[in-house]
Amino acid sequence: MVKRLFVLGLDAAPPSLLFGRFIEKLPNFKRLLDNSIYGRLKSCDPPITVPAWMVMFTGRTPGDLGIYGFRNRIEGRYNEYTIPSSKDVKYVKIWELIARRGYKSAVVGVPPTYPPQPLNGWMISGFMTPSDKSRFTYPPSLKYEVKSLVGKYVFDVVFRREDREAVYKELVDMTVNRLKVINHLLDTKPWNLFIYMEIGIDRVQHAFWKYFDEEHPRHTPHKEFGNAILNYYKLLDDWLGTFLQRFGENTAIMVVSDHGAKYMKGAFAVNDWLIEKGYMVLKDGVEPGTRISEAPVDWNNTYVWGWGGYYSRIFFNVEGREENGIISREEYPDFVKQFIKDIMSIRGPKGEVWRNVVHVPSELYSKVNGSPPDLMVYFDDLYWRSAGTLGYDNYYLPENDTGPDDSVHDYYGVYVYSEPGIRERGQSKDLSIYDIYPTIAEFFGFSVDELSGLYGESFLNEVR
Amino acid sequence: MTTGKYTTVSIPKSLYNRIKKLVEETGFKSVSDYVTYVLREVVAMHESEKYEEPFGEKDLEEIKKRLKALGYI
Repeated sequence: MVKRLFVLGLDAAPPSLLFGRFIEKLPNFKRLLDNSIYGRLKSCDPPITVPAWMVMFTGRTPGDLGIYGFRNRIEGRYNEYTIPSSKDVKYVKIWELIARRGYKSAVVGVPPTYPPQPLNGWMISGFMTPSDKSRFTYPPSLKYEVKSLVGKYVFDVVFRREDREAVYKELVDMTVNRLKVINHLLDTKPWNLFIYMEIGIDRVQHAFWKYFDEEHPRHTPHKEFGNAILNYYKLLDDWLGTFLQRFGENTAIMVVSDHGAKYMKGAFAVNDWLIEKGYMVLKDGVEPGTRISEAPVDWNNTYVWGWGGYYSRIFFNVEGREENGIISREEYPDFVKQFIKDIMSIRGPKGEVWRNVVHVPSELYSKVNGSPPDLMVYFDDLYWRSAGTLGYDNYYLPENDTGPDDSVHDYYGVYVYSEPGIRERGQSKDLSIYDIYPTIAEFFGFSVDELSGLYGESFLNEVR
Repeated sequence: MTTGKYTTVSIPKSLYNRIKKLVEETGFKSVSDYVTYVLREVVAMHESEKYEEPFGEKDLEEIKKRLKALGYI
């Protein structure tokens, strides 16, 4: 029998929705769960799409990969950065590993896989692809198969827009088309490992969370939008039904998410806070919403600056490292300590205690490649994203600074695993994103001894 | 001669023999299977619009524009 594992990646799918609130309305996911072990999957730090998917499929940390987010600062420069591409992922991807035993893979939608690198199988790169005019497939001829099937191939939808109706329609169109392509690959290509990552889940959650979640601070009941996320999950559930019918009996199935999601409380204008605390100095006043890269920062008198996102990257202006560095190497350790104290003491807009989390990359990872931030900060357990813009009167922004956004990331995503003849079923212990690579490797016959330098463990012994 | 979906092209016998030997230990079912695969790839490369090295400046600008619209940068 052909050895086959299908991995369905649902970007940002949280246990609260997939296992909780929605499950009774998703008959095919329910059927899959009844025949699986499943539970929470702890993401990496930072729990961000890039690098999380590549952490999952290389088994390495963001520090190993040298990828800390959607942009990587150019060391020594204040706001210049590069965008990670497939070429920056120097470790063996799971599909490369199993190719050594002759197994074929189909990989769709994983970031960053553009530009696609040759593999034993087929690849369609993910949402960090410039456009469908690019060479977005491997082999290159696959692009013509895809385009003859669906016309325009859509990688992503810009969700930060007020016209939510249009956003939803585009999301559905994108996904329906992608599912056509997935079905085509399933029909025409021999595969052993199939990875299909759908970014739409993350997008629909960001755009519509406030319409269904009563706990959301800006909860806005809406008859139609209130069901948008559920309806989107149902779209995938319907497809899963046809997939299970066809492959369910002889294929192992894994459902995973790279991180979870929860409602957003607001955005914290970290650079305005730095100014108030004297860590940053501007040469001039700025309009509210000015990007840090465009602000007149007085670098000769600025100690710290921050980048925005679902987590905050904090950089220190260090002598000999930054162009106008002012913190000496000797001062650095004490400076860090004091700064962390200050960050930990930040409270909410009503004086409520926040659970702030600070990570020092060199303490978090055994290897720190590339250009890491000096600190990685999660405000109030990620409930407050970090605003990369500044110039506000009040650093607690009720809305996101870069366009409408209703949800933030959370530490726990999901895993579901089922295989023919599975012995164990039901909700099981928490696993880590680092466990996925060794699990897939073991599925394809690799032993623990063959996998060195990894951080996770295969969980197949839990079910066999 | 054309029958149904396939047609025949001629290649030197020596090349045919080399390919035959080459494909023995691969998943290709026949020399025709292999030749079709290789030609598809080569032809697709030639057909694709005059394309710069992927992830050149133009690509990067496109991606940055998208990531900005997504609020990531």
